[in-house]
Amino acid sequence: MNFFPDERAAELRELFFESAQELLQDLNEAGLALESHPEDAEIIRRVRRVVHTLKGDSAACGFRELSTLAHEMEDALRADVIHGIENSVVEVIFTAADTFQAMLAAYRLNVAPPAGEELREHIRRIARSPQQARPAPPPAREPARKFDWSEAQRERIAESLSRNEPVYNISLEIDPAMGMHAAAFQLVQKVLRNVGAVLAVYPVDAAAAEYASHIEAAVATDHSKEALTAKCKIPSVVSSVALERISEAQEPSQDLLEVLLQAEARASGIEPAAAPANRRDAPPPPRAIDESVDHEKAAARLTADRTLRVDADRIDTVLNLIGELIIGKSMLHRTIIEFDKRHAKDPLRTRFADALALQSRVLEELQRSVMKIRMVPVEQLFRRFPRLVRDLSKSCDREVALSLAGENTDLDKGILDALAEPLAHLVRNAVGHGIETPDERQAAGKPRSGTVQLNAYHQGNQMVIEVSDDGRGIDRQKLVQRAVERGAISASEAAALTDAEAARLIFQPGLSTADRVTEVSGRGVGMDVVATALERLKGTVEIESAPAAGTKFRLMVPLTLASIQALLFRIGGRLYAAPIANVLEITRVTNADIHHVDNHSVIRLRDQLLTLVYLEQPNSAETLAAKKVFVVVIGLGDRKFGLVVDALMGEEELVIKTLDDRLSTSDIVTGASILGDGTVVLILNISALAARLGRMPALGAIA
Amino acid sequence: MKPFTPLTRKEDSQPVRYLVVDDSVFARKNLAKMINSFGGEVAGEAGDGCTAITEYARTKPDIVLMDITMPQMEGIEAVERIVRQHPEARIVMVSSVGYQDNILAALQKGARHFVQKPVKPDVLYEIIRYVLTDEDAHAHAQTTAGEVRS
Repeated sequence: MNFFPDERAAELRELFFESAQELLQDLNEAGLALESHPEDAEIIRRVRRVVHTLKGDSAACGFRELSTLAHEMEDALRADVIHGIENSVVEVIFTAADTFQAMLAAYRLNVAPPAGEELREHIRRIARSPQQARPAPPPAREPARKFDWSEAQRERIAESLSRNEPVYNISLEIDPAMGMHAAAFQLVQKVLRNVGAVLAVYPVDAAAAEYASHIEAAVATDHSKEALTAKCKIPSVVSSVALERISEAQEPSQDLLEVLLQAEARASGIEPAAAPANRRDAPPPPRAIDESVDHEKAAARLTADRTLRVDADRIDTVLNLIGELIIGKSMLHRTIIEFDKRHAKDPLRTRFADALALQSRVLEELQRSVMKIRMVPVEQLFRRFPRLVRDLSKSCDREVALSLAGENTDLDKGILDALAEPLAHLVRNAVGHGIETPDERQAAGKPRSGTVQLNAYHQGNQMVIEVSDDGRGIDRQKLVQRAVERGAISASEAAALTDAEAARLIFQPGLSTADRVTEVSGRGVGMDVVATALERLKGTVEIESAPAAGTKFRLMVPLTLASIQALLFRIGGRLYAAPIANVLEITRVTNADIHHVDNHSVIRLRDQLLTLVYLEQPNSAETLAAKKVFVVVIGLGDRKFGLVVDALMGEEELVIKTLDDRLSTSDIVTGASILGDGTVVLILNISALAARLGRMPALGAIA
Repeated sequence: MKPFTPLTRKEDSQPVRYLVVDDSVFARKNLAKMINSFGGEVAGEAGDGCTAITEYARTKPDIVLMDITMPQMEGIEAVERIVRQHPEARIVMVSSVGYQDNILAALQKGARHFVQKPVKPDVLYEIIRYVLTDEDAHAHAQTTAGEVRS
């Protein structure tokens, strides 16, 4: 589409890709629906509508291959295909969704799209004997008419003339670019009836007009010749007009000869009346409106109409600016505190304080509102899974029902997108080796069909997404054995593992308990990818698994990546922060309370031993027995450890700036933030800290 | 692209107001951009026939661009209902080539014109200009149901 400036075209393209994605989703959903309700013709209509929209949109974007294929598909989906071959229709729908998806991906990358032969093959199969169903090619030529009116028509013309009404013979050429001649005829006829009385018209009706390239009419009208010409020059329908007033004696007009000769040059031969009406490529009759209109859906559509699509980058820009504002606010705050100290009596103080309070309130509201913009319902993520589970259970010979809950829970779009891969992986695993084969299940006294459940909910400042199955559970013994074989842990370590720790081994790279590698899962890559993805999102993943009862993965991610509520503390000369969600408590101990066991430093906290982590090696002066240190107790899932800090600096909302890879040489730090006075705070990566815990007696100073 | 001479309303020289009806957000946006390039303004949008009817009553647009196939209520029925209540309505159908019968029906129900998808801006411009000059609004409504006399 080149008639818009580049930027606009790019914007439209983006919009196209986005809405096409939704259309494909619809297509997948319709396919699933048709599978469970094979007799429902309404679903076929829905599919047809979706494909139709895709055809139109892609054509407008200039994606010809996609639009052509969608057109063929739409044609094949006549209402009569539904009977008898439902299953193949379902397959066609899924194949179409996949093919269109591949084409879209290619267009996005500006490479040649796949030809989609598989889909074509499918389409051919459902379009029974397409050669017969298709209309015969229209006769290319037709004779030129010379206002050869019938006896009755001539009488009618004469009658009008006898009443002294002006009568015109009009000849109209249909625009060669117009593909729909019947519609063109209909419109011409409508216009003519509007200007006067149509005494005669050729072709006789819209059906016959389909293969005509020009239209003739005799019209009695009071309009001037010029006005009549203007009326008849219907843009995109009529390319040229010739008209001549009929006087009593005269029939066909000499003036028209030229037009007619032109027409004759192009046309000669076959009588258009010979074109039978049934040759037309008849679209289905207008559909009856379903009486039971789904009101909820209607409401949803209404809201959708009030939706604005905005490039995520623009929102990020706003959010970034708000971050800067927050930093500015804390600068102001600090300055005012300083002012307070110097001018304790100044009446301006209270006014500063008021202004600052107002500003922070508005700023907070602003930040919250903008973050809300980035929030989207988890449904956007969940909706792709029914298709995935269907395909997987087919290819693994499992019977699996997917149940979804909490689809309306909101989550930051960026996090949502980043969760797509790990979630898909967990679902693949659940179907691929969580759920047993129907026979195994029956033998174990379970229903033949297994269940995979996806559930989303908020918990405090976190979002929890659970993937659970009622399959065979994780085989602890096999997993530990594999881990020892691979050298991930030693045999003695293996013996000391708790169940939870053993289950966590599944996130070690290269481990899989599957006995054979299938297409679906079992290659041992992936579960560690899940852990890595979660880590990147400052989230965590937990596993609960019981033999023969199933496995549950619980992914926990922050609601937003833009800012965190954090505890600030000082270690050595640096300022650090830990997400407040991970801080369980803060305790104060003297160095004398710290014991050293097996290269670990531990303290006794109430009745439990707590391993300590030092970010910097304590120097000798600081190890004096009487010196008191703070221990921040950090919890990550079921694991706990204490972080030794020199001083606590308070709690603050931090706007996270991600660190460039060049800037951070340690995985212990995930990001940084700037305080109001310009100080840089490093935000600790809690899961990386926890991961190091088992392996190192104490952590070296981080860079 | 040469810019279009802005189209204005004959009665007050104000920008022409449009109601854009299509279930594809993309198609609506696409049409809206063309409308802007014609100097017009989008008075309302609708994603289905039902909404189109209420939006027509609310916005009283000069031109309606109506998609033929939509969920809930097809364009044809929407045309019929709008024209029945507002005989002066100028509705232009937007449709792909395969839907000729629907266009025929829509024209019978009172649509003024139709344009093929993919819509070309210069074609749409000419069509809008033509439809705008159509003063015989009421005559239209009356002849709509008329029989072919030939």
